[in-house]
Amino acid sequence: MNEVIVSMNNISKSFPGVKALDHVKFELRSGEVMALLGENGAGKSTLMKILSGVYTRDEGTMEIFGKSYDDLTPKQAQEAGVAIIHQELNMCRHLTVTENMFLGREVKGGLSLNNAKMRKEAKKVLDDLRIDISPDQIVGDLPVSKQQMVEIAKALSINARILIMDEPTSSLTAKEIDDLFRIIRKLRDEGRGIVYISHRLEELSHIVDRVTIMRDGQYITDGNFKDMDMDYIIKNMVGREIKEKFPRVECKKGKKIFEVKNLNAGKMVRDINFSLYEGEIVGFAGLMGAGRTETTRAIFGVDPKDSGELYVDGKKIEVNCPMDAIRNGVVLAPEDRKKDGLCTKLSIRQNLALPNLDLVCNKMGVINSGKEDALCEKAVKDLRIKTPNVEIDSGNLSGGNQQKVVVGKWLARDSRVVIFDEPTRGIDVGAKVEIYNLMNELKKQGIAVMFVSSEMPEVMGIADRIIVMCDGRITGEVSAREATQDEILTMATSFENKSIKETEGGSKNE
Amino acid sequence: MNSKQQRPLKKLLGIRGMGAALTAFVGLIIIYIAFGIINPAVFSGQNMLNLLRSMSKYLLIGIAQSYVLITGNIDLSIGSMVGMSAMIAATLMTTGMAPFLAIVIALIACLVVGVVNGYLVGKFKLPPFIATLGTMFVARGIAYMVNGNRNTDAIATGVGKETADAFQNCFYYGKTLGIYNTFWIALVIFVIFFFILSKTRTGRHIYAIGSNVDAAKLSGVNVVSTTVKTYLVSSVCSCVVGLILCAQAGMGNMEAGNMYEMYGVAAGVIGGVSPLGGTGILLGTFAGAAVWQTLENGLNMIGAQVGIQRVVIGVIVVAAVLLDVVVRNGQFGKHRKK
Repeated sequence: MNEVIVSMNNISKSFPGVKALDHVKFELRSGEVMALLGENGAGKSTLMKILSGVYTRDEGTMEIFGKSYDDLTPKQAQEAGVAIIHQELNMCRHLTVTENMFLGREVKGGLSLNNAKMRKEAKKVLDDLRIDISPDQIVGDLPVSKQQMVEIAKALSINARILIMDEPTSSLTAKEIDDLFRIIRKLRDEGRGIVYISHRLEELSHIVDRVTIMRDGQYITDGNFKDMDMDYIIKNMVGREIKEKFPRVECKKGKKIFEVKNLNAGKMVRDINFSLYEGEIVGFAGLMGAGRTETTRAIFGVDPKDSGELYVDGKKIEVNCPMDAIRNGVVLAPEDRKKDGLCTKLSIRQNLALPNLDLVCNKMGVINSGKEDALCEKAVKDLRIKTPNVEIDSGNLSGGNQQKVVVGKWLARDSRVVIFDEPTRGIDVGAKVEIYNLMNELKKQGIAVMFVSSEMPEVMGIADRIIVMCDGRITGEVSAREATQDEILTMATSFENKSIKETEGGSKNE
Repeated sequence: MNSKQQRPLKKLLGIRGMGAALTAFVGLIIIYIAFGIINPAVFSGQNMLNLLRSMSKYLLIGIAQSYVLITGNIDLSIGSMVGMSAMIAATLMTTGMAPFLAIVIALIACLVVGVVNGYLVGKFKLPPFIATLGTMFVARGIAYMVNGNRNTDAIATGVGKETADAFQNCFYYGKTLGIYNTFWIALVIFVIFFFILSKTRTGRHIYAIGSNVDAAKLSGVNVVSTTVKTYLVSSVCSCVVGLILCAQAGMGNMEAGNMYEMYGVAAGVIGGVSPLGGTGILLGTFAGAAVWQTLENGLNMIGAQVGIQRVVIGVIVVAAVLLDVVVRNGQFGKHRKK
């Protein structure tokens, strides 16, 4: 069964000024899940884009199913059986599931389209995968996890035999990940080859057969996952040893800094009460859609509140818009950095300065560029943002560095409360640790840190106290040191009025 | 020569949007010289003065439209505001009202349109194309109505020849330091708005909204007030252009400023202002307005007919943007490596 289906050798690719790939080799066999690992900017995506025909290589050889290809177009790649499922899903949000699956290869019946036939075929693929989605649903109405399933179904409906998945789990919850893994295993058992790109190393053991590691555009090593341990993998990815994946600093819990009382905002934020204290990081755990992001947005004044009171250092504050929150020392580094965090067309400098213009302007609103320079330089230095200078478009930075800019723009001012919403999503191990260290730094300075994350290990590793949300309500609170993953998961799935026994998240961590 | 001299230059070239602006300036020089070779009269002092004067209108509406374009919106009501300002000022002056007061009232009328535009787009989230399409019709309608659906008489009939001359000289016919006042007015307005856009908090907010409105909002930017401000800038510039046209004709013309909103788009876009928002600088708009006027002037001077003029100008606008797209796609490819 395990014949070699993709064989790439000596692949090089340069972009103006950068050598993205330097004589890389890569091999995929049928019926296996191959993890392609490396830090952001290691060249994983570039390599996969060459395999899927998006980029053409400068040199090297490439064979797919034993047939060698010179320059591959995306269409040829598709015909060869290669399908890529992108990190950012590529779907027409206003069209139905069927329409999306048949986009560009609609079945005609006479003059018009044969909708019945397409619908039937779509349904068959979805049923085969045991995905519970109607083919008539509008894709934009589906949650991200389901959209992803549709994308997989689409790939299968064109008979893809090589599936490339780029960070497929980054926005899924534990339960959804289990579903996805079930499907991946099924595809593997059917003899398809799957390339799996992920920064979430914890999940590899559930799914991966073999591993290829890249670093700085070069092939480092490959081998059976069973023969490697995690430290070895990380060492090869990062090029140095990371001592602690979850560095934790001990601080004395001090006085109360921030308090939220009876906060209500729409369906997803219902009767929220909690407090943050000096010297602690409070993790917010829960499933996707538990209302955590909505809670942060309501606190920060982005979305309107129905009711509720906020107190900073015992003083009641009025927050009707983000500016109110900022003025009162409450800041939010939002979840989706491309959508809410960054102005990608603007420079790093402009992004860093944006919420802090009041600090660098005189009374007339004229910017003092000296002060601005100082602010930006400090942020770049403190956060170790890797960039030649601050005039670069922030959109050109790697994910980890973009995230640092998003976080960095809030650290330039003296805040009392810093809210991080999924700060480590889609960034590599090294950058993650830097973000953790940053939160620890804030904690040491006596700033209240609210840390929303769907990744259980990091919440348990970094936070001191964990508040669990489900369905817009707080369903529990535990001390991070004593809590178990099962305990948190039970709270995270305690829906009202329906005591469904959820299957456990599957991931077991020490 | 030494590093101290090079550094400011490098910094200047490093300003985002400067590349496109400089390209437009280079294009301007090439076009100007090309026309001058065909007809040396293009180089004459008087022609240069005329050129500076007539480009002033395009510069002002270019500034108006650029402010709005940088936020990722558009203002279709510019031309109508120009007409409205000309008609209101002229009508009031024919009744004998002092020019200053007439100007203030015309300005207020334009500002009202700007506030409506700003709120419709910023607060009520109407597509700017639709919102300003509406105010375009309304403002043009008002321009028709103020003098009962006809052009005004000469303003001298109301305020007297002396005052009318003073008004006309101030905005159009008079010179200061050897250059027409029109250009000085446009230049002062340009410098003020250039400064606001590049050096102040409001300017930064304008770029931020154009680049990513959600991120701007989450960074504490007041999207509504900033959007309103951009439309107010548009109103002020349009009003001044209306006054210039009024001074030029010595009367109010109901069709004054027709299509000017599109000339504004052209001036901005030639100078590198992206209609998608977030990029572009007013220096580029300056170059764009000059290119536009030089083309018009040069084609006139070499005896090209109106039809040909339109075709050439249309081609230039598309070519400028096409060039920008090609260049940016090159960069885009680079950017996708990550």
